Amino acid sequence: MNKNRYFLFVPLMVALLAGCASFTASSQAEDAGRLVIYSGRSESLVAPVIEQFSQASGVKVDVRYGNTAELAATLLEEGKNSPADIFYAQDPGGLGAVAMAGLLAELPEELLNKVDNRFRSEDGLWVGISGRVRVVVYNTQRLQPQDLPPDLFGFTDPRWKGKIGWAPTNASFQAMVTAMRQMWGEEKTRAWLTGILANQPVVYDGNTAIVAAVGSGEIEVGFVNHYYLYRFLKEQGESFPARNHFLNNGGPDSLVLVSGIGRLASGKNEENALKFINFLLSPVAQQYFAGQTFEYPLVAGVQMQAGLTPLENMNAANITVDQLADLEGTLTLLRDTGVLP
Amino acid sequence: MLRDWVNTMRFGTISSPPARGAWLYLPAALVALAMTLPLIYLIVRASTAGISAWNWLLRIQTIQIIGQSIGLALAVMLAALLLGIPLAWLVTRSDLVGRKIWSVLLPLPLVIPSYVAAYLFVSFFAPRGLLQQMLEGWLGIERLPSVYGFWGAWLVLTLMTYPYVFMAARAVLSRSDRSLEEAARSLGYSPLETFWKVTLPQLRPALAASSLLVGLYVLRDFGAVSILRFSTFTRAIYLQYQSSIDRSTAALLALVLILITIGFLIAEQRFRRSAAEYPHTAARPPELTRLGRWQVLGLALVGITLLLGLFFPAGVLFYWLVRGLAAGGQVNHWLRPFWGSVSAAGLAAGATVLLTFPVSILSVRRKSIFSQVLEKWSYIGYAVPGIVVALALVFFGANFVPGLYQTLFMLLFAYVILFLPQAMGSIQASLRMVQPSLEEAAASLGENPLRVFQRITLPLIMPGVGAAAALVFLTAMKELPATLLLAPIGFSTLATQIWGAVSEAYFARAAAPALILILTSSISMYLINLHSMNEGSSQRQ
Amino acid sequence: MKEPFVECIQLEKAYSTQIAVRGVNLTVHEGEILAVVGPSGCGKTTTLRLIAGFERPDRGEILMLGKPLSQADTFIPPEKRGIGVVFQDYALFPHLTVFENVAFGLRKQPASQIKHRVNEMLALVGLTHHSKRMPHELSGGERQRVALARALAPRPNLLLLDEPFSSLDMELRLKLREEVRSLLKQLHLTALFVTHDQEEALYMGDRLAVMNQGLIQQVDYPERVFSHPANRFVAEFMGNANLLPGKVVEGGIETEIGLIQQPVELPPGSPVELAVRADDLAFDLSGKTNGVILSRTFKGVLNVYKIRLQSGLVVEAFQPHYRFFPEGQPVRIFADAGHELACFHNGVAVSAENHIPVKVR
Repeated sequence: MNKNRYFLFVPLMVALLAGCASFTASSQAEDAGRLVIYSGRSESLVAPVIEQFSQASGVKVDVRYGNTAELAATLLEEGKNSPADIFYAQDPGGLGAVAMAGLLAELPEELLNKVDNRFRSEDGLWVGISGRVRVVVYNTQRLQPQDLPPDLFGFTDPRWKGKIGWAPTNASFQAMVTAMRQMWGEEKTRAWLTGILANQPVVYDGNTAIVAAVGSGEIEVGFVNHYYLYRFLKEQGESFPARNHFLNNGGPDSLVLVSGIGRLASGKNEENALKFINFLLSPVAQQYFAGQTFEYPLVAGVQMQAGLTPLENMNAANITVDQLADLEGTLTLLRDTGVLP
Repeated sequence: MLRDWVNTMRFGTISSPPARGAWLYLPAALVALAMTLPLIYLIVRASTAGISAWNWLLRIQTIQIIGQSIGLALAVMLAALLLGIPLAWLVTRSDLVGRKIWSVLLPLPLVIPSYVAAYLFVSFFAPRGLLQQMLEGWLGIERLPSVYGFWGAWLVLTLMTYPYVFMAARAVLSRSDRSLEEAARSLGYSPLETFWKVTLPQLRPALAASSLLVGLYVLRDFGAVSILRFSTFTRAIYLQYQSSIDRSTAALLALVLILITIGFLIAEQRFRRSAAEYPHTAARPPELTRLGRWQVLGLALVGITLLLGLFFPAGVLFYWLVRGLAAGGQVNHWLRPFWGSVSAAGLAAGATVLLTFPVSILSVRRKSIFSQVLEKWSYIGYAVPGIVVALALVFFGANFVPGLYQTLFMLLFAYVILFLPQAMGSIQASLRMVQPSLEEAAASLGENPLRVFQRITLPLIMPGVGAAAALVFLTAMKELPATLLLAPIGFSTLATQIWGAVSEAYFARAAAPALILILTSSISMYLINLHSMNEGSSQRQ
Repeated sequence: MKEPFVECIQLEKAYSTQIAVRGVNLTVHEGEILAVVGPSGCGKTTTLRLIAGFERPDRGEILMLGKPLSQADTFIPPEKRGIGVVFQDYALFPHLTVFENVAFGLRKQPASQIKHRVNEMLALVGLTHHSKRMPHELSGGERQRVALARALAPRPNLLLLDEPFSSLDMELRLKLREEVRSLLKQLHLTALFVTHDQEEALYMGDRLAVMNQGLIQQVDYPERVFSHPANRFVAEFMGNANLLPGKVVEGGIETEIGLIQQPVELPPGSPVELAVRADDLAFDLSGKTNGVILSRTFKGVLNVYKIRLQSGLVVEAFQPHYRFFPEGQPVRIFADAGHELACFHNGVAVSAENHIPVKVR
C-alpha cells in the first residue's frame, strides 16, 4: 500500500528529470554562432525557412513563437535585457511599437534597398519580407466575380445586407482602415464604416474564420488577406466554394501589407542577425514564401504561384508603411463609429 | 472530549500550542509575495496610463462590457453547478451503467483549450457548419440558428468548466456519511428531498470553491469569447494589447478585473461561511441508488455532456486530421511537444501542490485573519488573464533575475501563480478531514513537524493531493500565453503547436497535437482515478 | 401472546464480499422492546437496516401489522414506512440547529404545531434550552438525546435503535439507557434495539434475540436466554459460563468435578457439555482435591477465583468477599447450582423444557 501511495510521484519524478534535462540542454551556450529570433509569424509558416538558414549557415537558431503584439509587449518589458537578436513580425504595428521605444538598430542600406520603398520603414529600422494583399473573398456558389463592386465602398449598398463578414479586431483590417484614412480621408472612411455597419456585417475573430464562413455559405463575402484561402484549398481541395477577388484598383482596398523584420539593438549576435535578414531577402527564401505560404515576395524576379499576379504588375495602393503608423487615430475612429466596443 | 474535538475542527487553534506550525507563515508569506508580483506590475504600468485610458474606462460601454462579463460568469457558474452536481451524483451514488468509465471521461473537457473548443464548436454548429451540411443532405435544412454571442459563449464555457464542479462534488459525494441521508429518509423525505435538504448542504463548501474557479475562469477567458464574438472585459484587455500594444491601458483594465474578482471572492466567502464545517465519517460506503427506468435519463445526461464536451470535439479533430492527410498535408513531429507538455505540466502539478501546502495548512489548522487573507490573496494570479501574469514575469525576470529568465523555472513559477488556487480547494478539503489529534499524537511520539506531515498528514490527504495535482496538470497542459512567452526558448508544447496551426488555418496540423493532448490527459486521468479508488477502498478496510 | 407488530420471514441479504443475513425469522410484538444482540458482523445491523428500508433483502419478506414492507415484488421506501431510527453516530444534520433537526421530520403541519411538538420532544429529553445550538456544540450525551427526540417527533410506529450508546462513556451509557428505556415504556413504543453488549441487551430488552453468523440463535425473555441458552454459542456469548465436558451416565452426567444429577434425554455414553457459571460452582478444602487455585480477583461484593482442573481446563468460581485462599492452594471444586444446568450435545441444548415465570416490568 505504501508503494501504491507514492505511485503518483513516479510520473512526477520522471517529469522533473525530463524537465531538468531539457533545461540544461537549452541553456548550453553554443560555440558556433547563435541567433535568437522572436517570431510573431507562426511556426507553420516560417520554421522551414529558418531551418534552411540554419543548415546553410551553421548558425544555431532559437526561436520563440508567439503572437506579434504579445511578443512586442514582451520586448518592451524586457528592454535592454532582451535575449532576442531579431524580431520577425506578422505586421508593421508590432515593429513600430518596438522601434518607437528605441529598441531596434538601423539596418544597412544594402538590405533596405532590396525592397521597394513602400515596404521598409523610412528611418531604416525594419524591412518588409513578404506581402499579402487585401482582397474580397466570395462564395462561388452564390456569386460571380462580376457581381462584385469595383471597390469596397460598393459594399455599403443595401443589397449586401447581412451578407458581409469582417474582423475589426484584426490588425490587417485596422491597417486597411488606416490606409483608407490616408487615401480617402476621414470623412469617406467614416461613411464607409457606418455604411457597412448599416448592412449588419457578421463580426469574426479573424481572417481564418471569415474564409471558413464564406466557404460554408454562412456569409457571401468577406474582407480578408489573400492567402488564407489557399490553405483551405490545399486541405479541402479545389471544390472548396470560395475564391479571392482582387480589387486591383490602386485604392486602400487593394493594400499590400507586409510582414517585417527588425534587429534588436541589444542583440549579441549582430552578424548572424544581418545574415539572417539577408537570407530572408534572398531569392531562395523569397521563393519559399511565394511557393509555400502563398505570399507575395517583395524582391523582384521570383516565380509566383499560379494565378497570382506579381506585385510589380499589380495596381496596389501606393502608400508607405510609415503612413500606416497612425493606429491610434484608426482605433479612435473605429470606437467612435461603434465598430469596436 | 467530543466537543473539544469538534471545536478543534472548527477553530483549528484551540488544541494546538501556539508555537506549532507558526514557521509555516514564512513559506506561506513567500508564496503570497510571489502572487503579488502581477499586481505590482499592473500598478507600475497603470500609473503611466494617460487621460485617454481613464476616459476609455469610464465610458458607458465599458460599464456595459463589465456587466456582460459578470453576467456571463454568473450564468456559466449556475449552469456548471446544474450540470456538474447531477453528473457527480450519477457516477458516485447511483448504479448508472458504466459509471466508472464516465467518471474518467467526464473531467476531460477541461483539457481542451477554450479557443480550440470554441473553434470546433463554431465549425460544427455554425449556421452553415458541419452539422448543417449533414442535415442538408437528409432534411434539406439550409441554415441553423446563430450560435454566436452570449448563448454560444455560455454553452462552450459551461462545457469546458463544469468539470471543476463535477470533480469537487464527486470527491465529497464519494466519501460523505450516508447515515445522514438515511436519517432523512427515515424521517419521511423522498430521495430527491433528501438530496436537496441534506446532501446539498454538505456539498456547499466544495460547490462554493469550485464555482468560484468556474467564475474566475470565465472572467479571464479570452479564446472562447473572441471566437464566439461576445464582448467581455478580458477580451477588451487583449484587444488593447493586440491592436495598439498599449500596456498601460491594458494594465488599468486588468486592475479593474482584479476588483471584480475580489467581489467574487467575498461572495464566495459569504456563501461558504454559512455552511458548517464538520468532519466527514465514511463508516460505510455510500449505498448506490437504483435508477431503474431513470437509467435512460441518467445515461442521456452523461451522453449528451460527453458528446458535446468531448466526443464531438475529438470527432471534428479526427475529421480534420483525416481530411488534411488525405489531401497530402503533413503532420508535425509530435514527440518533442508531447514531451514538453507532459514534463512542464507534470512539474507544474508537483510544484504547485508543494507550494500549496503551507497556505492550505495554515488556513485550515490555524485560522486567523492573516491566514484567511493569505488564502484569498493567492487567487489574485488566477484572477488576471494569462498574458498579464506572463508579462509581469517577463518584466521582473528580464530586469531583476536575468539568470533565471526564460528558464523552465520561470515557466513553472508562472504556472504556480496561475494555478495555485485550483490546487488549494481540494487539498484544504482533505486536510479538514484529518483530525488534528492524529498529528498531535505523532508529535507526542517524538516526531518533528516535517516528519509528522510526511508520515501522518500526507498519506491521509493523498487522494486530495492527487485530485489537486490532476487539476493543475490538466490545465497546465493547455496553458498558452505564459508558455509562449516564458518557456525556455525553443521549448514547444502541444498547446503551442495547436495554437500555431489553428491561427494560420492549418487544421490538419492542429488536429494531431490536439488529439494527443486529449489522449494523454485521458490516460493520466484514468491512472489518477484508479489510484484514488484504491486509496479509498484501503482506507475503508 | 400479543399480536406480531413486525414480522421478518426468511430474510436473506448478501453483500458483494460476504453474506450478512442468511434466513432470519424475527417477530416484534406490539409495545415491546426487542433487543437484538450478537458479536460484530453477526448481521444484526443489517437486519435493522432491512427493516428500516435502507437495504433491499435478496429474499424473504418483512411485514408490518400484516402488510408487506418488503416482498419479492413490493418495496416500500424508507420514507413511507413510518419507522424512526436512532443511528450509532447519531447522524445529526450538521448544518441545522437542534430545533431544526428535531423539526426535520415534521412537515405539512402548521408552524405553531411543529413548534409545539419540537418543544415537547426537547422537554421530554431535557434539552429545552439547547434548541438554538448547532450539533457540534453539543456533548455526546446531548447529541444522543437530540437524535432520539428527532426520531420520536414524527410519532413513528416503530423505533429502531442501532447501537445508540456505543460511543458514550460508561457512566453516561448507564444513565442514558435507563432514561431511554423508561421513555420508550412511557410512550408505549414498539422498538427494536441493536447492541453487541450482552448486559445492555439484558437490561433494555423485553425479549432478546441473539444472532450469530447471520442467523438468529435464540429469541426469548432475558432470564430464559440467560438460564436456558439454546446452544453453546448463546451460553458462551451471554457470559460467565464455563463449558465443562461430560458424559451421559445413569442418573446424570459424569464430569471432572463429579456426577451432576439431572435427567438428560440422551443415550448413556453420549458426550455433552455443561454450562456452569461461576455462581454455580463452589469449592472447599475438604476431601479429595481436584483443582488448584491459579488467581483471585477481588470484585468488592465477591471474590472471583480462577481454578485449574486436573485436565488443565480453567474455570471461574465465586466466593463471598470475606473468603480468601492463597494462590496454589489445592481445592475440591463441585457444582452447587440449585437449578438444572444447561446441557449441550453437539453444541445444541438438550435440557428438558422448564418453565420460568416472566418478569413483568
